[in-house]
Amino acid sequence: MNKRQFVARREADWKRFEALLERFQQRGRTPVEEAPGDEDAVGQFSRMFREVCQDLSLAQSRGWGRSLTKYLNDLVTRGHNTFYRAPPARLQGLKDFVVSGFPRVFRRNLWYFITACLLFFGPLAVTWVLVQREPDLARRVVPIQQLEQAAESYESSPGTAGSSWRKPRDDSGERIIMAGFYTQHNISIAFDCFGRGILLGVGTAYTLLYNGIAIGAIAGYLVGTNRHAKFLTFVISHGAFELVAIAIAGGAGLVLGHALLHPGRRSRLEALAERGREAIQLAAGAGGMLLIAAMIEAFWSPADIPDLLKVTVGILMWILVGVYLSLSGRWEDRAS
Amino acid sequence: MTSASPIIPVAQTTLDHVVVTPENVVLTFQLAGPGSRLGAFLIDLVIRMGLFGAAVLISSTVGLFVISLSVAGLLVVYFALDWLYFTVCEGFLGGQTPGKRMFGLRVIHEAGYPISGWEAGVRNFVRAMDAAPYLAGGNLGLGVYGVGWLAMLATGNFRRLGDLAGQTIVIQERRVTVPREPVILSKIEPLPRQDLGRWIPPVTTLALIEEFLERRLVLDYERGHSLCRSLARVLAQRLEYKGPKELVERYPMAFVARVYATFHPVEAGEDWRDSETSADVGTPRSAPLGLGGSR
Repeated sequence: MNKRQFVARREADWKRFEALLERFQQRGRTPVEEAPGDEDAVGQFSRMFREVCQDLSLAQSRGWGRSLTKYLNDLVTRGHNTFYRAPPARLQGLKDFVVSGFPRVFRRNLWYFITACLLFFGPLAVTWVLVQREPDLARRVVPIQQLEQAAESYESSPGTAGSSWRKPRDDSGERIIMAGFYTQHNISIAFDCFGRGILLGVGTAYTLLYNGIAIGAIAGYLVGTNRHAKFLTFVISHGAFELVAIAIAGGAGLVLGHALLHPGRRSRLEALAERGREAIQLAAGAGGMLLIAAMIEAFWSPADIPDLLKVTVGILMWILVGVYLSLSGRWEDRAS
Repeated sequence: MTSASPIIPVAQTTLDHVVVTPENVVLTFQLAGPGSRLGAFLIDLVIRMGLFGAAVLISSTVGLFVISLSVAGLLVVYFALDWLYFTVCEGFLGGQTPGKRMFGLRVIHEAGYPISGWEAGVRNFVRAMDAAPYLAGGNLGLGVYGVGWLAMLATGNFRRLGDLAGQTIVIQERRVTVPREPVILSKIEPLPRQDLGRWIPPVTTLALIEEFLERRLVLDYERGHSLCRSLARVLAQRLEYKGPKELVERYPMAFVARVYATFHPVEAGEDWRDSETSADVGTPRSAPLGLGGSR
């Protein structure tokens, strides 16, 4: 069979396949979704796809010229992309990720989390202790306006502890705004923390250190200047989600950096891509935790609730986060 | 971010990315160069700004009643456009943002299959690094993509850091049509057999001639002949062509076209036996060249 015969014989099929592709691509669906249950349609598509694949191989091996090969290559590419779509995202997948996927990935990468904790909580603790003893030191780390703003927020009016965080009048409006702000600001930090890991982990380490020192300085300043009552009851609840999530996102960034530095027996790029698949899940999970933290921070933490209750709930939150990350999905760990 | 745009060159050579599919077919993808990717990015930027503008309009209407809700909504929209726009589009719209679709670009896994939301997430969360250095404060997202651009050049297959981490490539999709026979071929006289020796040109040579003739219109007359001359000379020598030298030297395009017509006859025989390559071109006309046995 020569090229001309080949084209004459197959062209009608190619045109039909093209029309089919057009149909699927316009609606952005896979053949299976397009005709659910209609196995004939799916079967027909896959049969035609395999035929076009064969045509391409034939054209390539016979050396029938670039234009024909290009055309068939294009057909096969489009067929390939239509046929091998990534599995559609389903709510079930999200549920599985929350219930077991995320905690399991977290436990598999526990050491990155621990390292990130050292980089984050270490400086936080040191700065906190130093600044608490000598509150003026805070000015060397945090801009003075920010300190004053923080100090004002946690000003405790003596005697009525826990009842006058803000003037009740604009409370609810401000809380909604803050919910938006925390969402945008904190999740941005977490995702950035992850992305910076590509710089051999240095970017992530910097973000962790920077945030740890800044938070430690503010905390130390507030406690050192006798505002601890307000401050500690405010942060304890959402801190469980927020601080842990930042450390997890940091761990995700360190995964990337470590893959580049110590790829093991793979090439650096292979290691990066393979570890990246887990790291992104850590980052996404951290983003989810920060969303929860933002809601708590905006609506629960500043609420007029007795300190004792807040502290109790706060401690429960820490336990909840700890249990979730360490136990959830264990049954699947064992199964696999 | 446009300050860097004039410097970014559009790749002149097409770089191909080769993949073997599960069907054992070798697929070639044409990689997208920095130029079209910048174009797609700018379109997406305009779209994102438009969406944010729409959000501002809506939220200012809402703001007449509940100001707090509108502010919070704007912040969330800003976050979504900043961090989730690319991930969601690429992860759930088959690897294409609206801008990429406009330019015929698509993000795929380097193994040739479509990407999932996770891969889209990796390549777009690392985007913040690729976008460095920033013109204005990092939070404004006005990066000039210096890092990404350098990475694209260094990797050789136009991958920025996010592509490396996500194992993705950006390809250029194009629609091509079934190639047509060059019209003139049916009018070309085959070469007289007594002028030729026993050698038969391989199919690939004939394919080359055909392709050349298909594209001959992009060349002017002089250039076409001069490009073709070296091929014509070699062919004439191999074929032990005994006809007029003038045909080879002055009208090499006509000569190769006649060679093609001689060995690639227009009236295809109804012979479907899938015979081997040289016999393919040896349908009736070439029989006197010593292929009689194959019939």
